[in-house]
Amino acid sequence: MKAFLRNTWKHRAHVVMALPVFLILFFIMYVPMAGLVMAFKNYDMTKGIWGSPWNGLDNFKFLIASKATFVQITRNTILYYLLFTAVGTFLNVVLAIAIDQLIFKRMGKTMQTLMIIPVFISYAAVQFIVYAFISSDTGILNKTFQMGTRFYSTANLWPWILLVVKVWKDTGYGSVLYMSVLSGIDSSLYEAADIDGANKWQSIWHITLPSLIPMVTVMLLLSVGNIMHSDTGLFYQVPRNNGVLYEYTQVIDSYVLNAILKTSNFGFTAATSFFQSVVGLLLMLLSNFLVKKIEPENALF
Amino acid sequence: MARNRKEQDLDLAPSRREKKTLGQYVLALLLLLFTLFCALPVLLVFISAFTDEKYIVQNGFTFFPKELSMTGFSTVMRYGAQLGQSYLVTIFITVFGTFLGLLVMSMYAYSISRPDFMLSKFLSIFLLIPMLFNGGMLSGYIIFTKYYGLKDSLWLLILPLCVSTMNVIILRTYIVNSIPSELMEAAMIDGAGDYRTFFQITLPLLKPSLAAVGFMMATAYWNDWQNAMLYIMSDSKKPLQLLLINIQKSIEFLLNNSNVPASVRAAMGGTIPQYSATMATVIVVIGPIMVAYPFFQKYFIKGLTVGSVKG
Repeated sequence: MKAFLRNTWKHRAHVVMALPVFLILFFIMYVPMAGLVMAFKNYDMTKGIWGSPWNGLDNFKFLIASKATFVQITRNTILYYLLFTAVGTFLNVVLAIAIDQLIFKRMGKTMQTLMIIPVFISYAAVQFIVYAFISSDTGILNKTFQMGTRFYSTANLWPWILLVVKVWKDTGYGSVLYMSVLSGIDSSLYEAADIDGANKWQSIWHITLPSLIPMVTVMLLLSVGNIMHSDTGLFYQVPRNNGVLYEYTQVIDSYVLNAILKTSNFGFTAATSFFQSVVGLLLMLLSNFLVKKIEPENALF
Repeated sequence: MARNRKEQDLDLAPSRREKKTLGQYVLALLLLLFTLFCALPVLLVFISAFTDEKYIVQNGFTFFPKELSMTGFSTVMRYGAQLGQSYLVTIFITVFGTFLGLLVMSMYAYSISRPDFMLSKFLSIFLLIPMLFNGGMLSGYIIFTKYYGLKDSLWLLILPLCVSTMNVIILRTYIVNSIPSELMEAAMIDGAGDYRTFFQITLPLLKPSLAAVGFMMATAYWNDWQNAMLYIMSDSKKPLQLLLINIQKSIEFLLNNSNVPASVRAAMGGTIPQYSATMATVIVVIGPIMVAYPFFQKYFIKGLTVGSVKG
């Protein structure tokens, strides 16, 4: 204990330097964690979170009573997470390898620059671009192909629309991390493979892909904790928060955002948030545990 | 500068097997198609902004307009004062937030990477937990507005995006892997204190990582609409993204609300800022990021190496 205090005193400058982030994290991240107790309270705006009376599991009973909404938003959240993660990871890796393999380097660089642009456009702006393509009166798709599809009132088309938007927005930037790994591969490995008579596909399969696995694992692990969270802008802005489309577009985060903006259903929302946080935590711990069992090197902590 | 040139040459050096096979051309073609898929929608924004409003109403959005016009931009300019104010707000939170975040996060990253600093173990865990578990939007909303009394305060646009676990890890990884610890030790031996060592030795060497993280932060600040939508009420504090959303809402209101007298609508004629004008607004909103991006791009690959959290 004395050694610890002495050590801390010796590093007092480092304690001071760590302090601002410590305080910001404490007030912005940690205090709201305590606020999750409102899932077990009958929230009264005048009394606040801590002053409101406890009501046990009533909020969760309410959650089960309005099962349809709860199941719908949870299902959408998880399915979109799985879809985006599977398609996204696959495309990021393929794109990174493709650019890496291309021998027209200057062209590859220019194309990469252009591919990254969409990630910098906010969803508040993206929704206008999407509208230009799919609006029923003036949209390019309807005008060019004479389809007459009313996208903004046809809910079951939205998983595809959202997937295309997501791929458009994130793939270019997503591949950058993998490219940084590829540029670090020792080229003598490829030369050795060449000499041994491996063709291009074989060297991709046996050298390139295995070297990407640690990064893929880290990125997947990091994303698992967010399985219950979504890219809120994608689900709130792009479908224009349109009630007709909720069946396929509403996720937990956009539901919560709506509840706050309309100051409604706080009990239900609090219970859902609690569920969201706890499930996220458990999945993160579980997946890290599994990775640790299989490949301790790649585990996060 | 000379060093940069050399690195660039290295990047562009002929690749391992430089045969221009048919496969290479196919690959180039596929990549080109994907590039078009990414770039064309952005191009459409620019074309539409300069397309005549009536032309869009009649023929829909198009890549090949027959009539060009500047009416879109002149409509945007009608938001004059508010647009200027929103620009100021967005620039302020972006610049202030990014610099504040970079400063405090690099200090934290530096502190937890000091060898033989016993508290660093605890600080690392403290940093990690918010990535695993968080209170969610609702609880944050109530605590920030009711208990901190920060409703309609710019602090709520700045602080929530200021510190992220991921960014601290990126900075920490860079300090540990790319800055030789001998440099810091040498400075200490020469009599520099802890602060001086950090600000004069570590911070300057951290630049590539700061540039990459800083640009991503700046983009996040610039594009943040959610916190603004939740917390900001007064016009004088509205950032650009919220203004964009409000403009869209008011267009929808004008178009759908039957209470708006027909005469008013007729008087506004084609000037309800609908298609070309919203696209012009989008350009005004995303423009600065587009301009800044090429200058930061070179740092992306170098500065963004993520290490594990263990340490």
